[in-house]
This record gives sequence, structure tokens and C-alpha cells, in this order.
Amino acid sequence: MSLQPAEGTALEAIRRGDSRALEELYRLHAPRIYALLLRMLREAADAEEVLQETFVDVWRRAGEYSPSRGSIEAWLITIARSRAIDRIRARGARLRLVKQSEQLAPVDPEPSEPPDVHAQTRLRRALGALPPEQRRALELAYWEGLSQSEISRHTGDPLGTVKTRVRLGLQRLAELLAG
Amino acid sequence: MTHQEFLEQVDAYALGALDPEESRAVEAHLAAEGPHPECEAALARARNAVAALASDLRPVIPPPRVWDAIARSIGAAQVTPARRVPGWAMGLAAAAVLALLLGGGAQIREARRSAMQANAAAAECARDLADARIDVLRKDDALQLLVEPGTQLVSLKATAVAHGPLASTTGVVLFNARGRALFVGKSFASQTTQDYELWLIRDGKAVAAGLLPPGPDGKVLAEVRPELLAGARPAAFAVSLEKKGGETDAPKGPVFLTGALAPP
Repeated sequence: MSLQPAEGTALEAIRRGDSRALEELYRLHAPRIYALLLRMLREAADAEEVLQETFVDVWRRAGEYSPSRGSIEAWLITIARSRAIDRIRARGARLRLVKQSEQLAPVDPEPSEPPDVHAQTRLRRALGALPPEQRRALELAYWEGLSQSEISRHTGDPLGTVKTRVRLGLQRLAELLAG
Repeated sequence: MTHQEFLEQVDAYALGALDPEESRAVEAHLAAEGPHPECEAALARARNAVAALASDLRPVIPPPRVWDAIARSIGAAQVTPARRVPGWAMGLAAAAVLALLLGGGAQIREARRSAMQANAAAAECARDLADARIDVLRKDDALQLLVEPGTQLVSLKATAVAHGPLASTTGVVLFNARGRALFVGKSFASQTTQDYELWLIRDGKAVAAGLLPPGPDGKVLAEVRPELLAGARPAAFAVSLEKKGGETDAPKGPVFLTGALAPP
């Protein structure tokens, strides 16, 4: 189920300066983005600030959204993650690495909330199908905000190898999620 | 940058894993080349995959102050009064209703209602944790558990014996079936001659699950020892006020908070 067309209309309204449209978009997407920011930043105060910055950014840049470059949710998450990564890098907390227990998602399915159960199950299966080194490279980039160069320095793997893992890992993930 | 070079970099770009100068090169390619279907399609695929990685997280409703701050920034009214529903919002509502109907009727509606209640409890818990004067690593750990898939929130309610300062205490247990449980409480008055004690109830018996020392702000964050969760799933949690050092077999003081764990 996609809300994309209605959200597209909401974005049009935001471009015209309708703050109620932004509020609706916020109510629809902020809970998941907030959870993402809590996980990335580990500080509620930072997560709140970045969430705020994200939606103020959406207000100012609604005209820049292009459906040909991804869904609205993907655009929102791109903005939020970009700001979160900036904050992580500013903190200098680059090498606070994920523990095994904090990986992207457990591979084994377990009960989750009804609205997202299909997406969750599909994601867990897809992640479980990735080679461990690709999965690990994605984890370090996704949750820790590490660049490929930093992943290479941390793991000791050649930069070219890391780049290949990131590229193939995300491409494979996209294929599995689309399949 | 050539199209081929762009295609090789786009996944790392979507992940935010490029170094700054590499990112600028990718953005320059997107800006300079204009619409290029293959590059744009690759960017859309990569961004959508990155977004999907967040689908495993349980949504957490942010505190109202976040929207208030956004509204101030954009010059909108902070508290939206009852209003005419604009056309685009009708679109969202219609899509949500359609999703609900396709989702399967009363059972799904009930599940969604429960999820919303859980979200509200999660949001309050996140706020309590954010404000708590506790070690930042422990706070981080609790926030991680809060958003982890499969974590249930058990709200503990005051019992009939909760009088005086005990009546204002509240508590939530973050229970994860993979073997972790954290207690988050607030308004716990400092005690000099007694201790607060957490209990888990299993097979009709109380099992001592640890003391709950409050911080200077009355907040409590305590973890249940994992070995206590290795057996059968607890049916409920409870908090009592006991002699210094706590009890080992069963609560003897007033049990002032209780909450049942929903079945799996």
C-alpha cells in the first residue's frame, strides 16, 4: 500500500506554503524517522533536534523533491540521515561500532507490529540472504555513519573491497526487496 | 564524472558513505547532466533500499515539543485548532482507510489501536529517558531497546495499596523476548530505610528481579538479570517497597505497581 499520490499532493501544498500539509506529512512520517534517529544518534535530544531540522528543511526545499529520484519517504529519510551523519561526524564519535546485538535487524523472524509486518519480514529475509561481509559494511555505513574510507580503516579491508561490498550489498538488497 | 562512474558511486552516495568530495562530485553530476533516466533510476532504487532499511524499526511518536519547534520555525500556529479538512488531507485519510480495509478488518483495527497505545507509551518512556539524570551509556542502551523490534512495553499501574508518595509512581518494563527486560520508573521518592524491589510473576509465583534505586530526580532505570528471563515467559511484573536489601522469596511489603505482559 502506497500513500505516494496523496503525499505528492501534500508536498504540492507545502510548496504553496500550507503549513497544515507539512503537519500531516510530519504526523505520517515523523514516528519512523524519529525511531531511526534515536537508533543512529542514541540521544533523544539530538534525535529531536535533527527531526526538527529535517522537517524545516522539507518546508524550505519541497520544490526540490523529484519522484524520479525515489519515494517521498526515501527523500525524507535521506535528509534525516544526512543531518544525523553530519552530527555524528561533528561529535567525533565515528568509531562507536555496532555490537553484534545492534545489527540492522535480526535474521530470524519474530513478532512485530501489524502495520509493518510484511515489510519487516521481507527486510529480515533480504538481510539474511546477504553475505555477512556485505551486511556488515552496510551496517557500519547505515547506523554508524562511517564513510567507505573509514570502514576500510576500521576493518583493515582494502578500500576497493569495501566499495564493492557496499555497492553489491545495497544492489542485492534492493533486488531482494523488489522481488 | 561519467554516467558509469556515477552508477558505481550511487549506492554509497545514497547511504551517505562517500567522503565529502566524492559526494560533491555525484551531486554535480546530477545537477549538470540534467535528467538522465538511468542515473535517476539508479538513485531512486538506492534511496528506496536505504529507506527500506528503516522499516524494521518500531515507530516512536516524537514529543509534541518537536512539532511545536518546527511550527515556530516556519511561522505556523503551534496548536492547530479544529479545522476544515483540506483536499490533500482527505487523500491521506482515504488512503489510510483503504489500507485499513485491505489490511483485514476488526482484528487489524484492534492491532493498530494497540500499536498506537504502545507508541504513546514508548514516546513517554523515551521522554522520561531523555530527561533522566543517568549515565549516558545506560540511557543509550535503554533507548536502543525501546526501538528494537519485538520489544514490548508493559505499563505498570498503581494498585489499591499505593498511598501517599507511592501513588504517584509510574513504571514501564521494556521486555524483549530475546532475553532482556529494563524497568523505567519515575516519581520514586528516595528511601533511607527501605528499598524498592522489582518482581516478575511466573507460574503464579513471584521471582525477585532486583532492587530499584531511584536517582536524584526520582527516575529509575534497572535491568532484570538475563538469567531470570531464561525460563518461561513472565506473566506480569510488580514493584514493592521492602526492607533494606529487599526480599528473596516473595514480596512482604506493599506491592504498589503491577502490569501484565501481553501474550506473544
